Amino acid sequence: MSYIEIKDLSFSYTKKRQILKNIGINIEKGEWIAILGHNGSGKSTLAKTIVGLLEPGAGSITVDGIKLDQDTLQSVRRKIGIVFQNPDNQFVGVTVRDDIAFGMENLCVPKAEMLERIEYFATKVGMEKFLDKEPASLSGGQKQRVAIAGILAMQTEIMIFDEATSMLDPYARGDLMEHIKKLHNEGLTIIMITHEIEEALLADRLVIMKDGAIFADGPKEELLKKPDLFQGSALELPFSLRLANQLTGAGFEEVRGYLWESAFRK
Amino acid sequence: MGIRFQEVSFHYPQNQLTYYQAIANITLDIESKNEFICLVGRTGSGKSTLAQHMNALLLPTSGTLEIFGTKITAKRDKKTNYNSLRKHVGLVFQFPEYQLFEETVEKDIMFGPLNFHTGIDEAKEIARETLKLVGLDESYLNRNPFNLSGGEKKRVAIAGILAFDPDILVLDEPTSGLDPRGKTQMMELFKEIQDKTGKSIIIITHDMDLVYEHASRVVVLYDGELIYDESPKALFKREGLEKYHLQYPSPIRVLKDLKERFDLDLDIYQRNLSDAVTALKRAVK
Ligand SMILES: Nc1ncnc2c1ncn2[C@@H]1O[C@H](COP(=O)(O)OP(=O)(O)OP(=O)(O)O)[C@@H](O)[C@H]1O
Ligand SMILES: Nc1ncnc2c1ncn2[C@@H]1O[C@H](COP(=O)(O)OP(=O)(O)OP(=O)(O)O)[C@@H](O)[C@H]1O
Ligand SMILES: [Mg+2]
Ligand SMILES: [Mg+2]
Repeated sequence: MSYIEIKDLSFSYTKKRQILKNIGINIEKGEWIAILGHNGSGKSTLAKTIVGLLEPGAGSITVDGIKLDQDTLQSVRRKIGIVFQNPDNQFVGVTVRDDIAFGMENLCVPKAEMLERIEYFATKVGMEKFLDKEPASLSGGQKQRVAIAGILAMQTEIMIFDEATSMLDPYARGDLMEHIKKLHNEGLTIIMITHEIEEALLADRLVIMKDGAIFADGPKEELLKKPDLFQGSALELPFSLRLANQLTGAGFEEVRGYLWESAFRK
Repeated sequence: MGIRFQEVSFHYPQNQLTYYQAIANITLDIESKNEFICLVGRTGSGKSTLAQHMNALLLPTSGTLEIFGTKITAKRDKKTNYNSLRKHVGLVFQFPEYQLFEETVEKDIMFGPLNFHTGIDEAKEIARETLKLVGLDESYLNRNPFNLSGGEKKRVAIAGILAFDPDILVLDEPTSGLDPRGKTQMMELFKEIQDKTGKSIIIITHDMDLVYEHASRVVVLYDGELIYDESPKALFKREGLEKYHLQYPSPIRVLKDLKERFDLDLDIYQRNLSDAVTALKRAVK
């Protein structure tokens, strides 16, 4: 049995339209997967069903051997931290400090430990000077950083990032990814929803959604070699590979090989 | 003249005693026609704050601001018609949620045109057309804007501004949250609008590929100050942009790497994929 098993999952917000269609995904402990797909393909909806915020119409979700239902909801939630697409949906407190604390409070982290983690993770995302500010008075990227710090501080076994870095500048994003790589090496299971192909390539495996269904699922090295697959789902290869694909013909083998190789260099 | 900033500074009040200076001494002229400006800078550098001055949503704490001939100063002036300024300058917010408020997508997009005295039938027609421009079909007209996916909300928010046809478009991260195809199409749409109407377009973004390919001018903020205002070509030829947390565009980064790795005689300053391909083919042959 896999660590996370999603089986025949379906979901509809309204009777008129089915959103998720027979989704099946197995994720092993310590895996890092990226979920890609066009706007409205169902990525955020899927993420919300995995954490039990939306109840599936059919199918099942099992996390670490526990089948998700009303009775097990709380214990499954303790294992998964999720950064929502819109950071405002995550803010409840008066100050940045409160907001970073919120997730930990739900996990009953002892007070002293909590204070330590707030300082540590606020610093990690470069927001240590903003702890007493109101979340509403932050810039877009600052809000995202605070939302991320709150989840990192929970130190859950699984983390879901739903376009969590879409408004970060490349340096802030790079710093954060370094930290996430470290956590991954220590065994964290990561589900990263993103439109940024460079970010997706940090994962080992790509899951591509299209119109509410799984369109492709496999090791990135395999999927990237199928350009039709990308074109068919509103995606784009990274610049270096688009360049490599244009260099057809003799004489370019070495350059092409190098470009492919460097696209996978982490 | 479209928008003129003269030594504009802005402070957000913190509490009675302190304030936070978000932009400092900004001097900047934006023509009413044919500008394609990208406004860049790291997180918290003041981009959104500056953008919100462009249609007088925020008023300068000091300095003067002129928007289509109307002087804007720290004090809200009863004689100034702020609403009519917004007909000149349309602003799309960084978070679409701040902009969407009606119960249907159709009403949301119609709001601008109705506010500027377009008839109801015409406004409906406009809503239908602009929705199509941003890549959403008619079935979205009756949807509740709050029950859309992130990228769909972004598209509706952009449609809401295009609908009332402002002279200058200011777009705060219009492509964040869009899927790659949507991003390309959105940039093509902005280009097409400019080609047809000559409207000035100002885009805030962290995507330097987009800046390099599309902008004719790039304005860089760092800690609230304007540090560069020049062509992307001039900007990206500079060394050491890392200092300001700016990344070089992909073509430059990738070609630079190839040039060094294979010891090529190659001009790395190519603005897009096809130029990069041409240059590389020539260098390798
Ligand atoms: N609360 C809701 N009520 C009804 N329909 C919804 C609701 N939320 C989302 N939808 C619809 O469900 C579909 C999937 O939405 P979802 O948010 O999961 O997409 P997504 O893949 O995350 O897209 P994006 O890349 O734009 O964030 C979309 O067509 C959307 O319009
Ligand atoms: N309403 C507010 N009250 C107090 N401070 C604010 C407010 N809005 C923004 N700030 C502060 O002003 C500075 C500039 O914010 P602004 O939103 O203009 O940045 P930005 O360049 O748009 O950043 P980002 O790329 O993260 O969106 C930030 O340090 C921010 O914390
Ligand atoms: Mg989403
Ligand atoms: Mg901003």
